Amino acid sequence: MAQDSGTRTLISQAQLRRGPGRAIYWTLLAVVIIGFTLVFLGPLYWMVTGALKSGQEIAQTPPSLFPQEPQWQNYADAWNNLALAKLLFNTFYYATGAVLFQLVFDTAAAYSLSKLRPIFGNAILGLMLATLMIPAMVLIVPQYVTVIDLPILHISLLDSPFAIWLPLVANAFNIFLLKRFFDSIPEDLMAAALMDGATPLRTLWSIILPMSRPILGVVSIFAVTAVWKDFLWPKLVMPSPETRTVSVGIYAFAGGTPMNVVIAASVIAAIPTVIIFLIFQRNIMSGLTTGGLKG
Amino acid sequence: MAITSAPGATRAAGRPAPSPPPGQRRTSLGRKLRDNLTGHAFLIGAVLCFAVFSWYPMIRGIVMSFQRTRRGETTWVGWDNYLRILDDPSFWTAWKNTFYFTLLALILGYAVPFFVAILLNEFRHAKGYLRILVYLPVMLPPASALFLFKFYAYDPSDAGLFNAILKALGLPTSQWMQSPDMTMPAMVIASTWMNMGSAVLIYLAALQNIPGELYEAAELDGAGIWRRILHVTIPQTRLILALLAMLQIVATMQLFIEPLILANGAGAEDSATSVAYLIYQHGFFQNDLNGAAALGVIMLVVLAGFSAVYLRLTAKQD
Amino acid sequence: MSVPQYRKAAALALVTGLGLSLAACSTKSDDASNDASGKVTITVDCQPVGAQKELLQNWNDDVAEFQRQNTDIVIKSVSVGEQCNNPPDFTARLAGGTVTDVFYGYMTDLQQVLDSGQAMDITEYANKDTVPTWDSVDPALKEVFSDGGKLYAVPVKNYSMGLVYNKVLFQQAGLDVNNPPKTWAEVRDAAKKISALGNGIAGYAEYSAGNTGGWHFTSLLYSQGGQILTPDGKKADFNNAMGKQVLQNLKDMRYGDNSMGDRQLLQWGDLLTNAGAGKVGMFIGAPDTTQAIVSQFQGKFEDWAMGPLPGQDGPAKGTLGGGEGYFFKKDLSPEQVKAGLKWIAYQKLTPGKGQFDYARAKPQNYPVGLPQPLLFTNGSDAQKQELDLRKTNANVDTANFAVFEANPVPIKGEPRNAQAIYAVLDAAMSGVLTNPNANIDALLKTAEDKVNQLLAAEG
Repeated sequence: MAQDSGTRTLISQAQLRRGPGRAIYWTLLAVVIIGFTLVFLGPLYWMVTGALKSGQEIAQTPPSLFPQEPQWQNYADAWNNLALAKLLFNTFYYATGAVLFQLVFDTAAAYSLSKLRPIFGNAILGLMLATLMIPAMVLIVPQYVTVIDLPILHISLLDSPFAIWLPLVANAFNIFLLKRFFDSIPEDLMAAALMDGATPLRTLWSIILPMSRPILGVVSIFAVTAVWKDFLWPKLVMPSPETRTVSVGIYAFAGGTPMNVVIAASVIAAIPTVIIFLIFQRNIMSGLTTGGLKG
Repeated sequence: MAITSAPGATRAAGRPAPSPPPGQRRTSLGRKLRDNLTGHAFLIGAVLCFAVFSWYPMIRGIVMSFQRTRRGETTWVGWDNYLRILDDPSFWTAWKNTFYFTLLALILGYAVPFFVAILLNEFRHAKGYLRILVYLPVMLPPASALFLFKFYAYDPSDAGLFNAILKALGLPTSQWMQSPDMTMPAMVIASTWMNMGSAVLIYLAALQNIPGELYEAAELDGAGIWRRILHVTIPQTRLILALLAMLQIVATMQLFIEPLILANGAGAEDSATSVAYLIYQHGFFQNDLNGAAALGVIMLVVLAGFSAVYLRLTAKQD
Repeated sequence: MSVPQYRKAAALALVTGLGLSLAACSTKSDDASNDASGKVTITVDCQPVGAQKELLQNWNDDVAEFQRQNTDIVIKSVSVGEQCNNPPDFTARLAGGTVTDVFYGYMTDLQQVLDSGQAMDITEYANKDTVPTWDSVDPALKEVFSDGGKLYAVPVKNYSMGLVYNKVLFQQAGLDVNNPPKTWAEVRDAAKKISALGNGIAGYAEYSAGNTGGWHFTSLLYSQGGQILTPDGKKADFNNAMGKQVLQNLKDMRYGDNSMGDRQLLQWGDLLTNAGAGKVGMFIGAPDTTQAIVSQFQGKFEDWAMGPLPGQDGPAKGTLGGGEGYFFKKDLSPEQVKAGLKWIAYQKLTPGKGQFDYARAKPQNYPVGLPQPLLFTNGSDAQKQELDLRKTNANVDTANFAVFEANPVPIKGEPRNAQAIYAVLDAAMSGVLTNPNANIDALLKTAEDKVNQLLAAEG
């Protein structure tokens, strides 16, 4: 299934079809396929089968390739004891919320900064972009103290999903991405719409957003990944077991759970995302590749 | 800069106020006010979130670093927190470890994905499969991926996966996380494995946008593969490379979950302690949120230095 | 709809959207202590987690039974994880004020709890009326939870450490299962023999991460007759011959004899996982570590026995004792405090009920007969009742703990600021256990500096 992409890359098509080039190409491809499979799939195999081994078998030298007596119980224990269903639900719930909040607020803000350009807009944008250089770790303590006792309102967001959603809205990178994209939409389109008496919201909804699907896709992917990958923040602001994310939950239980069960839990936790990824991989890949990240 | 969508779209960024669209001449003061109000109405959600969760904590962090709270009472203590933090023997170890990790990650975690992307971009077969493979670890919850390394790969006995492989190949085995010398390399390997997928995809996107004619021309000039990488690929992806370098440095300076899980915290003889872990330890183990805030401010200053250098360098290139 | 109106609506929608989302968070409120029916509701943490099936079932049965007996009280149980007090989570809960109304803590947590301003003075509530066995509770334990003459928590568990050993491995190695090593030299010999069995078995295992290394260092130091801090609590006092001896013993076993296994940087669960898998000959711990090995780490009771903590040249000069209790959150109503005390009295301090319901525990995979929890004063009525029940219902061979019980070692409490000091001492432990060329003097010096600096900062 040779696909001719047609675009010229580092090495020309012709060179790869001819004698030695062709041999090298196929050898390299074989090596890479085998190598990558071992490097990226191998550990996952080890994980899935390792979770089936008994404590004794794990400590055996040299390690066995197949579990001698598969301990399916480890998976059942992991599912039940760690309340994985709850942890997974929480994580997806937070991820969904994060996507919605970021899409609504960041898109609105980027739209305003790009098209409506209110007074002080550039100053605000500057202040937002300044936070790009401030890593989360620097702010972790004051942010945590703030979430515990919000200024003026004096409420605590601990164990509330808003403690994850709202700080994620303050994402200068997303606003920057969206604004750059909106900037590229011709001003004439806006003007024409305004002439027709369309309101800014209407223009955003029916002109800008339909054109912006790829970038919205990218922002969504980033939002989901951020929730999925974050660890310390959810660990701090979601201290109760009922509100934990998968990563934090597995970590919290690891200290008092046999390691095979921890690994079994890790396998189960990975399954839904891997399935989602495999289903949507085409969209995700094309989203990331066409969605505005360019050299 | 690096991120845009449609060509020729960069002009709007620095423009002051919008020129009134043609045909709209009745721009009264009230009208202007309304327009501005509308603009700010769209901004308000994001601005509030920034204010509460970014700008205010920034100031609060600095204020906290000069205070001390004991039994519910907060007092001003001047530079006490900073002096205490600087006195902590782990302080310099943590910085040394963090810089070492950042450096190793730049060599391994930064360069490897780029070359993997170049390689993948050349293949006409099994493209989808290889991409999925590289991206698969990104899908694992970070704690899961790290437990996999901790329990199976880095087991210091011969029952461990890596040691079993090394032994089968007749190579000397390692103590991995238990050897202060291997702690950081081992953490970088795990971290690269679980994170490189995203970088590879971003590079692939960038590579696909390099016009083929440039390679064509270079080849006609007699440039070999390496020279073509050096003179076409890298310059053409320069902006994305620079951006990811910055993001990577900022990310690696925050090294936290790797030491926490792989090394159970500080690791062998403090060899895994990172600045971020130290912040965590002060704040949440030693009941010293003010000291942790001071450490946060120190980290901010260091990163601001980095950013300044970065901006200087990239500005020169542009 | 005219243009400006539409805009206004849009702006309004945005603002209300944000406002609503903020308002939604504020609906959480914890002052629903008395509901319309006049019931008192209290939240209590440290409910067993799902992995501890029978313990969880017991706890839930206790709650049901307690509520049946006290129809005006509602107990809401909260599970906070396998380890009820994982220091960073505990700190987060204290700082965030999200502790439950009645919350679990270690004896060493008192200062931190007071610092956070979350604790309530319960002196006037804790008495024979609320806790029937109160006068039998060891006064020394009450003292540990008191500050300035005020009581802040009710002790519910108390332990001391000894040498836990695997009888099966002892037998295989040709050691006398009824005569555990009494000195560190004997431990070293035994460890050598046990690790000679091969198969990845560690003769002696020790912690060195997640604060547990420092915790065990403290116990090992006590066995030498040392102390972590000077009596006034102002300076570190372990950088001396006794501290060096502790690390030297470990270094000799780890690298001299290679009898401590390959896996180091262990923390609580890691060591017990290995122990459950039959890979650990000896370690120091409290009697109930055997319980964790069985209920959480797939081990077997009959394999484990316990002797007193060894000393350098004879019996240990001291051993680490510690314990747990329940604190009360500030601003509880008197009814809530009384309800909380009643619950603790029922579940933790009544022979025959709750944790002392040995008849219920007997058929379960849960040990009865461990020389623990040492809550009641020697000779008190409650102690006699508890001991009688324990004997009648014992499901573990009490002979396994006879040597431990017959040779009591003086118990010493944990140092102030224990968790922060333990974090520092982890590095000294990991040093001798992971580096064959570790410099013991340097390790102790660094740890001493850090602890002194930490104490100075505390003021």
